[in-house]
Amino acid sequence: MPSTVTQAKKALIAELWDDNPIFRQVLGICSALAVTNLMFNTLLMCLGLVWATAMTSLTVSALRNYTPQRIRMIVQVLIISVYVIVVDIVFRAQFPDIHRVIGPYVGLIITNCILMGRAEAFASKNPVLPSFFDGLGAGLGYSGILMTVALIREVLGFGSVFGVALPAREVWWHSWTIMVMPPGAFFVLACMVWAARAHALRLDAARKAKEAKK
Amino acid sequence: MDGVSFVLTSTVVVAATCLASAVVLLIAERYLANYGPCTIDINQGSKKLEVRGGKPLLATLMQQQIFIPSACGGRGTCAYCKVKITDGAPPIAPTELTLLTDEEQQKNVRISCQVKVRNDLAIEIPEALFRVKQFTGVVERMRDLTHDIRELRIRLVEPAAIEFTPGQYVQLEAPAYGDNPEPVYRAYSIASPPSDTGHVELIIRLVPNGICTTWVFTMLKEGDEVRFNGPYGEFRLAEGDAEMVWIAGGSGMAPFWGMTRHMREHNVQRPCTYFFGAVAQRDLFFTDEFHDLEKAMPGFRFVPALSGAENDGWTGEKGLITQVVERHLKDGSGKEGYLCGSSGMIDASVKILKAKGIPEDRIFYDKFT
Amino acid sequence: MTDPSHAGGAAHLLVILVSAALTDNILLTRFLGMCSFLAISRQMKASVGLGLAVTFVTTITCAINAALYVWVLRPYGLESLQLILFIVVIAAFVQFMEMLIERLSLGLYYALGIFLPLITVNCAVLGAALFMTNRNYGVTEGLVFGFGSGFGWMLAIVLMAGIRERLKTARIPPALEGPGITLIIAGIIALGFVGFSGMVQP
Repeated sequence: MPSTVTQAKKALIAELWDDNPIFRQVLGICSALAVTNLMFNTLLMCLGLVWATAMTSLTVSALRNYTPQRIRMIVQVLIISVYVIVVDIVFRAQFPDIHRVIGPYVGLIITNCILMGRAEAFASKNPVLPSFFDGLGAGLGYSGILMTVALIREVLGFGSVFGVALPAREVWWHSWTIMVMPPGAFFVLACMVWAARAHALRLDAARKAKEAKK
Repeated sequence: MDGVSFVLTSTVVVAATCLASAVVLLIAERYLANYGPCTIDINQGSKKLEVRGGKPLLATLMQQQIFIPSACGGRGTCAYCKVKITDGAPPIAPTELTLLTDEEQQKNVRISCQVKVRNDLAIEIPEALFRVKQFTGVVERMRDLTHDIRELRIRLVEPAAIEFTPGQYVQLEAPAYGDNPEPVYRAYSIASPPSDTGHVELIIRLVPNGICTTWVFTMLKEGDEVRFNGPYGEFRLAEGDAEMVWIAGGSGMAPFWGMTRHMREHNVQRPCTYFFGAVAQRDLFFTDEFHDLEKAMPGFRFVPALSGAENDGWTGEKGLITQVVERHLKDGSGKEGYLCGSSGMIDASVKILKAKGIPEDRIFYDKFT
Repeated sequence: MTDPSHAGGAAHLLVILVSAALTDNILLTRFLGMCSFLAISRQMKASVGLGLAVTFVTTITCAINAALYVWVLRPYGLESLQLILFIVVIAAFVQFMEMLIERLSLGLYYALGIFLPLITVNCAVLGAALFMTNRNYGVTEGLVFGFGSGFGWMLAIVLMAGIRERLKTARIPPALEGPGITLIIAGIIALGFVGFSGMVQP
């Protein structure tokens, strides 16, 4: 039996790349894409999500032996709700202006397939520490993608990063409005999924070729 | 609003909403999901059941004390619970399509754990299933036969007696434990003779990470209660006097251990050679008992063979069991073959027996899945 | 973003309906409900079925949730509870609808399969309710908004299904197959829907 630490590390790394929820299963894009036109908003969203996912996985794992089978899903949803409500309250207090813009999306973290997915697939069957890192990894992997999309959209759409105008913006930047609008998010994400899938396919093909040679 | 009344009102509001939802759902279940009383006609009217609709066929039959075999407990993965539905069947569910061949679908064979009873049905099941019951027993004795094979002797409690033919198997229930939220059922051949009606013996090999065997080897103790259904299976000695060739190793010995003792009790004189394959000496068990049987039954021969590399001091047969059979069996015509083991071992053994002249329809086997 | 006043009137409700379905489409503009959208839009029949189910659920649950919000949560200052309450209402209603569909159309029940219970966590349903409270809609407005949002979602998934059926004979780079090409098409449809934005003046 691998030690808990190795298990935890493996879970974290797996979630970050190999099993990255967005690339592998295109899960949970919903709530997130809408906020990706500004990097700062995205960052807040990601922090909230990472925290909620990690804490949910931790709690679901801690309670896994005491939860009757029939109401397992309901309990998971309730646990997720509690943590998301906390995130919501914190944002409402600390960043009221931004909260007015992304408010509903913060609440929608509850329905984000990733939280429920990790809770069901991993946390309900594994010990606390690896589950925490699994949730953390899933959240971080997801956030990585979101921040990348946000980076592309904000640079191309507003010519700024985190609200700070890029140097010599007037010279080289032409506002690419579509990046600021919803369709832009679809296209950027599509390109990223394309790149990731192409890479994964290439790896698969290389592995199959190696196995065929054996 | 201060903290306390906030918490109070919140709790009341949330609880009230949950309660209201639960009530609505219960009412809905009563009227919508209630498919009313349904009749299940079994085997062209030989048995008629009045049941309440709304549950899967497998569970409904189980409630009526008819136990269709199932290894996955109704999750739609093992395909053991096939039942032929001749009338009243609902459209085939996607989960069934992956488990049924085209031929089976033509013949109206369905996966009973995926078919919900919503109206009157007419089904056909093998007669033998009517004899299958659910048993509770107590572990009377547990002893290790080798480093990874254990024998369980179970004393029956309710019902107190079991009726079966040697070669049949039971489905042992491993209760939920640790990371396994639901009980699982695994099939094991009955290793005791039918004359011992109040007991069932099982020979179980430890499978690494096996849910049931891990439970048997690490948690089960003498005196514990166990549950199983049975008897199931078509594996048995054929009628007649034909000479028999038996091939089985490890826990595959189970049905043959019961058969030989049964044969001895009833003075069955059929000539029989039992080839028992193992890797090393530490994997052999019951060798003394089988040598005694050889003395008591003149036509019976026990041939253990070791396939492992280092077996100094072993004067018996060496090599893979199929090679040993090759050497010993001169001519298979007029003989019958009986096999019990993994599908790989069975396929290899069937090949060698056919090569020696035993026709395919005289070779019987019990494959471990 | 249109921020309608509380004045009643059919025109006002019509504006809410049109903006929810077209200009502020919950999927193409607000990105909600993508999981099942990407997966089910492969088949037209299932898409129509799911679309109708989602419309039904969104309409009714928005009405119930609006009522809860206006008559229970707001008077007692319990707005922060909306998340939990809305989820409970949606979950219960979806389960109710599952039983209903199983009774009425077994074919549809099988076609939707796992996606039926997944409507519970369909961001679009909960999202519609949250947008509704964010904009302080009343009960009638909520009902209309719910219907508009659900219908808009159905519109998007049916459009996508129609296009994907045509795509079956097209050559697509292997890495783009599935979610990749669907996202691009979604982006193009979204572009098209942007054209509707002139219909509703803020």
